[in-house]
Amino acid sequence: MSDAVFSVLMAMIGGAIRVSTPFLFVALGETLTEKSGRINLGLEGNLVLGAMVAYATSYSTGNPWLGVLAAGAAGMVLSAGHGWICKLPKVNDIAVGIAFMNLGTGLAFFFGKPFIQPTAPRLDAVALGNWSATPQVRQALLVNPLFFVGLALAVILWWMLKSTRWGLTIRMTGDSAASARAMGVSVDRVRLLTTASGGFLAGIGGAFLSLYYPGSWNESLSSGQGLMAVALVIFARWNPLRCVWAALLFGATGALGPALQSIGISQGYYFFNAAPYILTLVIMIISARSEAASRAAPSELSIVK
Amino acid sequence: MTATQAPSLRTFHMSKAFGQLQALDDISLDVAAGSFHALLGENGAGKSTLVKCIMGFYQADAGQVMFNGHEAKVRSPRDAHALGIGMVYQHFTLVPCLTAAENLVIARADTPMVINWKTERKRLDAFMETMPFQVRLDALVSTLSAGEKQKLEILKLLYLNQRFLILDEPTSVLTPSEADEVLGVLRDMAHRNDVTVLMISHKFREVKTFCDSFTVLRRGKCAGTGDARTASIAELSHMMIGDAGLRPPATRTAAPKSAPALHLNNLSARDVEGRHVVSNVTLTVPAGQIVGIAGVSGNGQSALIEVLSGQRALESGHITVGDAAFSPTRRNFDRFKVFGLPEEPLRNAVVPRMTVAENIAFRSFDKSPLANRLGILSPARIRKRGAELINKFNVHTSSPDAPIETLSGGNVQRAVLARELSGAVDVLIVANPCFGLDFASVADIRGKIMESRNKGAAVLLVSEDLDEIFELADQIAVMSEGQITYLAATADTDTMQVGQHIAGHGK
Amino acid sequence: MSVISPTMRRRFRPDARIATIAEAILIPVGALIVAALVFSVFLLVLGKDPVRFFGLVWTGGAASAFSLQNTLQRAAPLILTGLAFAVPARIGLTLLGAEGALVLGGFTAAVTAIPMIQAGWSPWIGLPLVAGIAMSVGGVWVGLAGWLRHYRGVNETISSLLLTYIAIAIMNFLVEGVFRDPGSTNKASTMPLSADWRIGDIPGTSVHWGLVAGLILAALLWILMERTTFGFSARIAGGNLRAAQAQGLPVGRLAIASCAIAGACAGLAGFFEVVAVHGQANASLAAKYGFTGILVAFLARQNTLAVVPVACLFGALAASGGLVQRRMDMPDATMLVLQGIIFVTLLVSETFYGRLPFFRTSQSGDRT
Repeated sequence: MSDAVFSVLMAMIGGAIRVSTPFLFVALGETLTEKSGRINLGLEGNLVLGAMVAYATSYSTGNPWLGVLAAGAAGMVLSAGHGWICKLPKVNDIAVGIAFMNLGTGLAFFFGKPFIQPTAPRLDAVALGNWSATPQVRQALLVNPLFFVGLALAVILWWMLKSTRWGLTIRMTGDSAASARAMGVSVDRVRLLTTASGGFLAGIGGAFLSLYYPGSWNESLSSGQGLMAVALVIFARWNPLRCVWAALLFGATGALGPALQSIGISQGYYFFNAAPYILTLVIMIISARSEAASRAAPSELSIVK
Repeated sequence: MTATQAPSLRTFHMSKAFGQLQALDDISLDVAAGSFHALLGENGAGKSTLVKCIMGFYQADAGQVMFNGHEAKVRSPRDAHALGIGMVYQHFTLVPCLTAAENLVIARADTPMVINWKTERKRLDAFMETMPFQVRLDALVSTLSAGEKQKLEILKLLYLNQRFLILDEPTSVLTPSEADEVLGVLRDMAHRNDVTVLMISHKFREVKTFCDSFTVLRRGKCAGTGDARTASIAELSHMMIGDAGLRPPATRTAAPKSAPALHLNNLSARDVEGRHVVSNVTLTVPAGQIVGIAGVSGNGQSALIEVLSGQRALESGHITVGDAAFSPTRRNFDRFKVFGLPEEPLRNAVVPRMTVAENIAFRSFDKSPLANRLGILSPARIRKRGAELINKFNVHTSSPDAPIETLSGGNVQRAVLARELSGAVDVLIVANPCFGLDFASVADIRGKIMESRNKGAAVLLVSEDLDEIFELADQIAVMSEGQITYLAATADTDTMQVGQHIAGHGK
Repeated sequence: MSVISPTMRRRFRPDARIATIAEAILIPVGALIVAALVFSVFLLVLGKDPVRFFGLVWTGGAASAFSLQNTLQRAAPLILTGLAFAVPARIGLTLLGAEGALVLGGFTAAVTAIPMIQAGWSPWIGLPLVAGIAMSVGGVWVGLAGWLRHYRGVNETISSLLLTYIAIAIMNFLVEGVFRDPGSTNKASTMPLSADWRIGDIPGTSVHWGLVAGLILAALLWILMERTTFGFSARIAGGNLRAAQAQGLPVGRLAIASCAIAGACAGLAGFFEVVAVHGQANASLAAKYGFTGILVAFLARQNTLAVVPVACLFGALAASGGLVQRRMDMPDATMLVLQGIIFVTLLVSETFYGRLPFFRTSQSGDRT
């Protein structure tokens, strides 16, 4: 019995790290965007498009890391469109997000058709568990380098928001557009840049999906991770470091079903599939009226108004 | 920080038109180096346009600016800042979620890409030592009081080495004592030749006490200029208002006491961040009286109005009208004849995209004759009734079917008056009804409020404008930090006493 | 009062209403044309012939009785899901819950019909009952998002999408588990409905009765939103929540009721998918009608009557998808791309309301 528990636990840890990585990238991107006072619900589209572009690039060039970059670029282009439209007057940023979710997925499915069959080179993992003789541990500690990139990014983003001119400008724009304008900051440009950069990160999250875990391209690759990441940002109170913990928590929930399946409990597999959504909903309910969250929220954000 | 002399600024024959409207017509302004100059005028007289032309937000159609005796081309606020001209706006431009120190550093034109907080902090401390007043550098701006924020705004300009300061009604958010402190410091700095100050104001007392010279604008033209210390208030007000004379105050007549009174018993409410914004407020508004609540904005008056109008949850306490318990529901609004003129009507009272007629129908759309018992509406009747009230209340609109957002502020407020005051009123809840409106609208609106009182309504009036409160109210209360700290009959008190309580120094 | 004079009766310009209506029609049509142009460029870049494409859409969607019926068949659920987005949108809620309500509505319809069939009930009694259950389940599901919004402050866009994913997961879980028809080996499904419990087509056509239900609901909801006190209250709350509160309107109940109506529409769509199309519930219920409905409602500018022709337009796109796929050798996602482009141009066009010079009703502009 304890063996089974140990197996599930190790599978959960490994799974949490694997599953959390795309969450982390999307959440960091969304944090950056929302810190400037704009919400981008379209990152789900970035995730899917990024996954497809990464896979196709890796397949055609043989270099998965080029795929990662291409995914980021595709995500950036998509979100730049979002940023550009949102700066027009009278346009609702939530609706634009939904539209870009559709457009991104549509483009990914359109161009991704030929890449469903072939196998593309995947990203290699770093084996951190070789010290252990237990196969479960070795398996769990097979970590993709993108996870570490994500961790580093979280720290860099946190530092940037605190101690650089750009960071202060972004926070200022997100908290009081009027003040930013009075200071000669182009609010639209700042938001365009943060939205595009956020899109770049979300695209990379997509690359992780198709190039590492689950590690292939198909049309049901993402089902709402991009959107859950938006909820995760609220939970993490717009703090990049808290995003890491939140992403790991989401990852662990997502890994629950497969972990149980790995020891032969397959009953309720579909039910466990719903676990991350239910967790997200519960977290949203908890954090919606949270006084701490409303203190930390960028006050220009339409979602918290 | 290099020590700089106070600069001088003159404008010659400045003109600026917006479409048909001649906002500025041949304005020449002369602000001597090291002086504290007041720019006076009614709303819409062109004061803001003039300073925005000086700051480079607008380009004047004609005329020029001389700065320190040289012609200055100011094409953008950035140019103005480079010259050393800085402005403090009516509303704060500080960023609430940043600390005071972060606000100062990011305001600089040459903020380094990577900020070394240790060295920045040393420089800030050194700068603060040379300043006549202090602000806590590590505090989040959102936690500073209004007075501290205003000081920080001024510190920011000095930190940026801007020695020509333009202040747009800087004391409107301050208590009288905070205002006196800030203005006193500025006057002393000007007289030491450290800065030159140009202040937009409409408070004669401040101008007389602190300023050296003044210029008055009226309808885009220069209506007079002179020495602030010797000019009389009568002269100043004549220049501001012109031959039309002073607006006659709304007439107060003895009111019938038939209507019920509004009682607030121990009301408390919190904001989203969990702070108490209204604490144990108890107040009675008798029928046929206006009770005015004075106070600096942000002391819970808006929250109190929100509680009464159903926009904010009541945490504890209860409201009664006459002897009956009242909660802000539509049924009760009708049953007790409770009406409201909320502040910022576009935000609180109307739906910008619905038509004027529909907006006027908000109180009556679910009653006969606009709707039948099955709840089916008659758009034709809504439109007809709208058109009638538009005429009766003199709302300027191209059509009852025009979206109300196309109307000017005064006309939006008139449309709200038409909706709320066209029938019998027992209780009227009013907040800052004349904020930002032109002369004619102010007279209209105050007249209508007084008319309701004269007919016997119990009127609760929240206003940041002490003059308005003294003109309209029968009793004056002061609200500070969510509590009622003072209550007196208007006849038994004066601006000094009320001002002291607003400042929190009352006993 | 110096300025009020009763003799000053002004004449109003009669054209304000006409201008508003013209604007509400011409701007979306303009957006559609721009979207078609953008998509043509997209096709040209890929070396495909846009003229041929739109010709095929015409052939496959409207040119013959067969293709028209095909279009209407697909428009039926889109009308209902379009309504499901439009009604809460009038009260200012952006809900993505229609897909979930459709799936759950369809699923409950399938599983509640089975025992009734087994008990030998007449479909004339059973089907209306099942439809009512499907609508209630959908209404409660989406109403939950409205409740969370109003009483817990949870963003309704995200919560309703999560509820959709949860609904799909619940259906999959139950279809794979307790409600699985042991006979469904290929694709896990519930027990099939018996033939007499299937709703047939409108006589003389191959279009099922869901279309008629959609038309009736569109008309009823138009009356509800435009001609009743409920709709007027909802429009006040949607236009300015604070103003609605200050008028004492029960904004929470209005929001939840709108969401429940939306969910009921989507649940009804699910009911028809099961009893008229599939005959059982399985994973193919989640056919993204709920999501296309969002686009339908946006293009119809949340006007429930306009939802009908717009749903037909998207029905035609869907109907011609197969033809385009075969004749032009393009993937089925082509229509998704076109939809995405339409959606984006449509939102860009929002910025032009009230800003095109010839629609402008003169500003009464005494500025202060």
